Amino acid sequence: MQETDKGTKTITFEVLLYGPIAAYGGGKHIANVNMTMSQGTPLGAVYAELGIPLKAKGYVFVNSVLCDAPGLNASLEYQVQADDHIGIFSDNHMWPYQYRDGVKMSDELRDVLRKTGAIHHSYESTARDE
Amino acid sequence: MGKKILRINMTDLKATYEDVPKEWGRWAGRGLTSTIVFDEVDPTCHPLGPNNKLVFAPGWVTGTPAAPSSGRTSFGGKSPLTGGIKESNAGGMSGQKLAKLGLHAVILEGTPKDKKWYYLVITNDGVSFENADELMGEGMYKVDEILGEKYPKTAIIGIGQAGEMKLSNAGISVNDPENKPGRYAGRGGLGAVMGARGVKAIVVDDEGGPGVEIANEDLFKKGRKALTSAIREHALTKKDGGLNAYGTAVLVNILNEAGGLPTRNFSSGHFEGAAKISGEAMSEAIEKRGAGKMGHGCHPGCIIQCSNIIPDEDGNELVSPVEYETTWSLGANCGIDDLDYVAHATYECNDIGLDTIEAGNTVAMTMEGGLLEFGDAEGAIKLFDEIRKGTPLGRILGQGAEATAKAFGVHRVPTVKGQSMPAYEPRAVKGIGVTYTTSPMGADHTAGYTIAPEIAGVGGKADPLSIEGKGELSLAFQATTAFIDCTGYCLFIAFPILDIAEGFGGMVESVAGVAGLEITGDDVVPLGKEILKKERLFNEAAGFTAADDRPPEFMREEKLPPHDEVWTIPDEMLDEVYGWVHAD
Repeated sequence: MQETDKGTKTITFEVLLYGPIAAYGGGKHIANVNMTMSQGTPLGAVYAELGIPLKAKGYVFVNSVLCDAPGLNASLEYQVQADDHIGIFSDNHMWPYQYRDGVKMSDELRDVLRKTGAIHHSYESTARDE
Repeated sequence: MGKKILRINMTDLKATYEDVPKEWGRWAGRGLTSTIVFDEVDPTCHPLGPNNKLVFAPGWVTGTPAAPSSGRTSFGGKSPLTGGIKESNAGGMSGQKLAKLGLHAVILEGTPKDKKWYYLVITNDGVSFENADELMGEGMYKVDEILGEKYPKTAIIGIGQAGEMKLSNAGISVNDPENKPGRYAGRGGLGAVMGARGVKAIVVDDEGGPGVEIANEDLFKKGRKALTSAIREHALTKKDGGLNAYGTAVLVNILNEAGGLPTRNFSSGHFEGAAKISGEAMSEAIEKRGAGKMGHGCHPGCIIQCSNIIPDEDGNELVSPVEYETTWSLGANCGIDDLDYVAHATYECNDIGLDTIEAGNTVAMTMEGGLLEFGDAEGAIKLFDEIRKGTPLGRILGQGAEATAKAFGVHRVPTVKGQSMPAYEPRAVKGIGVTYTTSPMGADHTAGYTIAPEIAGVGGKADPLSIEGKGELSLAFQATTAFIDCTGYCLFIAFPILDIAEGFGGMVESVAGVAGLEITGDDVVPLGKEILKKERLFNEAAGFTAADDRPPEFMREEKLPPHDEVWTIPDEMLDEVYGWVHAD
């Protein structure tokens, strides 16, 4: 952690972007971006800083913990920590339920999934049905 | 003329066409192969002996006009790898052609008295038994080339050298639209069962065939339209969706980020080189080398097109497909992050006739056992030569991971019922572990697709986010998957039909329309359970007990990084999954 001239503490962390949204990190299929932002920055601000529209992000991981899914926004308030590893996938990346059934996930995502139905592949379709 | 059962007796070299018994007429695909195996194969027989049979059957809708992504062929028999019942299905050219010949199923039985090898040619006029001398010792690329020249525009089902040697990891190849091998009924060693019948290849020519009878044309068309729309709309299956853009290997980076990608023989859930062997890396290689393609179809009429063609280092098309399971087993699970090695090793598997999941796990056993170091791509590729040549080492490797582990004194063996686990670590992805352990097929990632719970109302009461519901959910998934395995549709229709209710209804209506069955969505799970019950009872009669529904011992004891998880599913929950078989 470092301190800026204005006394704000900053942290550095790593972001991996997979699929078409790699374009927001200067890649085509995969981009690896090292970022420095203020301590306490929410993940939503990281998306904004990279220019990633919320609709474009799919599954999101922080340090191997699933924090978000396509069509949901359960990760926006997470406060990024120094040396975090954040993996952000495009909305077209599939991950069938049977292959994610029981993985480590954040409490915030768990709460959202209890409302939206945990087993769907695409929450766009769920929203449409509602 | 109604559908027929084609029974090919290799002892007498005779083929007979039989009427379809009423019970068999209810089924197609996996439901039919498992029913025939249940009815005709002694569960205690030796899988390579004269009393086992190889049964293959297209699905209900396979061969019908414009049914989307519906070219599957189911192959069944008693497995040399697991010792239990086996169904393994493949895409490629065979399903549609068998169906258009009016064949409900083909039963291959007996063993040639003259000990010679044959290839069979199935046409609308009957079956001819041809001398296979020129094919013997050849890999599947050459077999497809020779037979493709002789019998253009046909389906070619065949076995490589592994099947000739009757090795337990021998798969059955089906050619793709470019007449290349790679569409494998890979799991469980059914290629050895075909080899034990003295059959190197089967050519299927549907010219002049009667086609598929459709009982209710209007219902079929209505269902087909709804299903097609759902596939084309869904984010995963539409054009440029996840499957089309990156193939099934789109999952590599996801499972790796989740800490669930088995690495170096299931010793970690995270592989530092995963990105280099991922679907994204394949796309990059294809663009950079100006050859190959993503979005390749494995059979005519597929609208998902998740297959790919991977080029070699010189920009020549090398192999198709390199799938998620393949790039994981040959790559991450062996600590190898070289996509070109993965492509070459896949070519070897396709040619020799090996299941890539079992082959990768087998190579990992040699690394765990000290023959090679993890990460040794150069050493690993040489192992395939050993198998091809049938050296003593190669014959051990060709028996699969469990036999190889015994040969090398390895106790960390990731198998259930003798079959290697696929690319999802059950300590990190806990739900899949229930399916791995309880499926009649052995550890199988395709045995429990998520389809029914919220639509068909089964499993809807179970909380999918709780450990308590995992057994009930797994049974629902296994039952619905068993049903889809009867349809002839690719299992990947599971994604749109789960999320889009009209697609689920369309799938069922299209089946009802073709087969003349009076079924609705509510019948999917009960029908699936009928199939599972037969498979389970076959295995019990073959000697399987609850002890066969258990995870590998080391997974209960070793913590898996990065989450440091061990296996936590209680044995009682595993026993409850099939408790209903004797209660109903």
